[in-house]
Amino acid sequence: MHEQVEKIHRQVRSEPPNILKTLLALQEQVGHVPVEAIPEIAHSLGTTTAHIAGVLSYYPDLRVAAPGRHIIRVCMGESCYANGCGRVLRALQDRLRTDVGETTSGGKFTLDTMSCAGNCAVSPTVLIDRDLYGRVLPSEVETMLERYR
Amino acid sequence: MSSATRLYLSNDTSARAAGAGLLADAWAARPDVQLIRLSSRGAFFLEPMVERDSPDGRVAWCNVQPEDLPSILAGTGGTPVRSIPFLANQTRFTCANFGETEPLALDEYQARGGLKGLEEAFRLTPDAIIEELRVSQLRGRGGAAFPVWNKWKVAQQAKGGPKYVVANADEGDAGTYCDRMILEGDPFRLLEGMLICARAIGASRGYVYCRQEYPAAAVTLRAAIQKADEAELLELDGEPFPIEVVQGAGSYVCGEETALLESLEGKRGVVRARPPYPAQAGLFGRPTIVSNVLTFATIPQILSRGGAWHASLGTEQSRGTIALQLGGRVKHPGLVEVPFGLSLRQVLEQFGGGMAPGSRFKAVQVGGPLGSLFPADGLDLPICYDAFAKAGAVLGHGGIVVYDHETDMVDLARHFMAFTADESCGKCTPCRIGSVRGREILERIQAGGGTVEDLTLLDDLGETMKLASLCALGGRAPYPVLTAIEHFPVEFRSKLRT
Ligand SMILES: Cc1cc2nc3c(=O)[nH]c(=O)nc-3n(C[C@H](O)[C@H](O)[C@H](O)COP(=O)(O)O)c2cc1C
Ligand code: SF4
Ligand code: FES
Repeated sequence: MHEQVEKIHRQVRSEPPNILKTLLALQEQVGHVPVEAIPEIAHSLGTTTAHIAGVLSYYPDLRVAAPGRHIIRVCMGESCYANGCGRVLRALQDRLRTDVGETTSGGKFTLDTMSCAGNCAVSPTVLIDRDLYGRVLPSEVETMLERYR
Repeated sequence: MSSATRLYLSNDTSARAAGAGLLADAWAARPDVQLIRLSSRGAFFLEPMVERDSPDGRVAWCNVQPEDLPSILAGTGGTPVRSIPFLANQTRFTCANFGETEPLALDEYQARGGLKGLEEAFRLTPDAIIEELRVSQLRGRGGAAFPVWNKWKVAQQAKGGPKYVVANADEGDAGTYCDRMILEGDPFRLLEGMLICARAIGASRGYVYCRQEYPAAAVTLRAAIQKADEAELLELDGEPFPIEVVQGAGSYVCGEETALLESLEGKRGVVRARPPYPAQAGLFGRPTIVSNVLTFATIPQILSRGGAWHASLGTEQSRGTIALQLGGRVKHPGLVEVPFGLSLRQVLEQFGGGMAPGSRFKAVQVGGPLGSLFPADGLDLPICYDAFAKAGAVLGHGGIVVYDHETDMVDLARHFMAFTADESCGKCTPCRIGSVRGREILERIQAGGGTVEDLTLLDDLGETMKLASLCALGGRAPYPVLTAIEHFPVEFRSKLRT
């Protein structure tokens, strides 16, 4: 962790210290922002741990726990809502036997929601890692997940 | 390769989600096909669309499957693009390049009139640029609809530099995707608008704050910035004007301009009290223009065609065109650019094509998650700022979501309040406490434990939030909830405990 923080610090040092950028860069590399890294980040940015923790807890996309190998995000925006995203989410919950924000027992999938992928005209929308699925039907959930075996 | 047929296929995120990616994969290795990946026309109900050149313009095949290739290559069964009513009946200016050009082809952008606005801006003085915008009567497209020239004037006259130009690409309103289409499909138009702004106010640096949910947009935009830099476009009066893409982290309130600036500075995205306005003291306390992507993208043509041209479109208080984004249970979801002034009904019927098969209309929401709901008898409202303001509604960023007969209005109202409670930045009490209380009341009603007093309580709470919230998140949050209760009272009352 020390090396990663150091490296990211060097990358962004040219500008005024930017906590959010630093945390996002760390998450990009490690997959999440471990709470243990807070003191080190605070030290390298010349600020307090409370300041770092405050930013870390504020943003929904910053994670303090390692996610599963694949992250599934179901859009809950209004266009997706109107097109039945609730049913898609329920199908995923049933199939994975996991709740929103949780990871399956084998550590394979993390199930999450999002608020709009800008795919509203082809909704409902499910994002798995970097793959965006549109016009998703609850009955298609099974085959969709099979690609990630 | 010379015998290969040129086929145009969109590379837009939604086109790919509709199946364009499958087609590209299936046809990539074929020697008889030369695939050109374009932006999308925005007729998403027809995607994936495949087009070919013809002497009379492009011909399209719609909702294409891989096995349709033989008929496309034979040239049978296509429809001339200009005879597709959804597209033919639009008035496209800001969205004119969609479906026509390769997003990163600067020469194509230029061939279709791009960079003419910037050239004009270099001929004019900063005062004259701002005067042109005043004449155009352009109002911001991000939601607050503030006159653009006015903001620029303040920033221009503000003392102390450096000054900044920030494009708000947070596009947080669910049901909107026009900014995404510009970022992914016509990025030079945004950059040109930002450069014109920078020249007018004397800014030395630009930022695009792009929502994390738009990874493809950020990639395209970064590539466009690099191309513009190589073409020596990112310069103003001999000084460099660097533009940086900065990623958001999933917070809706970070689309609010002052929260966005906090977030750009790397802090918690909490709303700042105004004044001072960003144009006076914005990023790092310096004069900053924060404007929506669509606003910037509208500006090049105002300079190249003239402010009077822009003012000749639309209605008295709402000049120009509006990019409406249809979603939900309409038959034809997609992007519609038309002059202000059509009624909601006209838009839903002429462009939306009515309801999706099997659906009956229940309500339409305009302006994102903070927008009001309209029932079937509220559809004659003209789409323009003044008429909407008079009705206590907002156009927001132009999102229109249609709900059908299966929608449970109590659950929808709970969904709205839960959204506000999740996204509230916590700076002011009416929103921080009010949204949580509101959600609890709606959950109680939904569970069958609510009383008539709860509806009164929601009303009081809503009025307090409207009046006393610091920003429009808390200030607008009651509207979708209270309009749901107003127009569908029976649904709420039938759930109450007697
Ligand atoms: C809660 C909230 C969220 C907002 N989200 C956005 C957004 O995602 N994109 C945007 O352009 N404006 C958004 N706005 C409006 C901005 O505060 C600001 O008015 C706008 O960026 C100014 O640009 P314009 O003059 O081009 O409209 C939001 C406002 C509020 C209160
Ligand atoms: S209304 Fe809500 S989001 Fe806006 S400043 Fe107050 S607490 Fe923050
Ligand atoms: S509402 Fe789900 S993609 Fe926009």
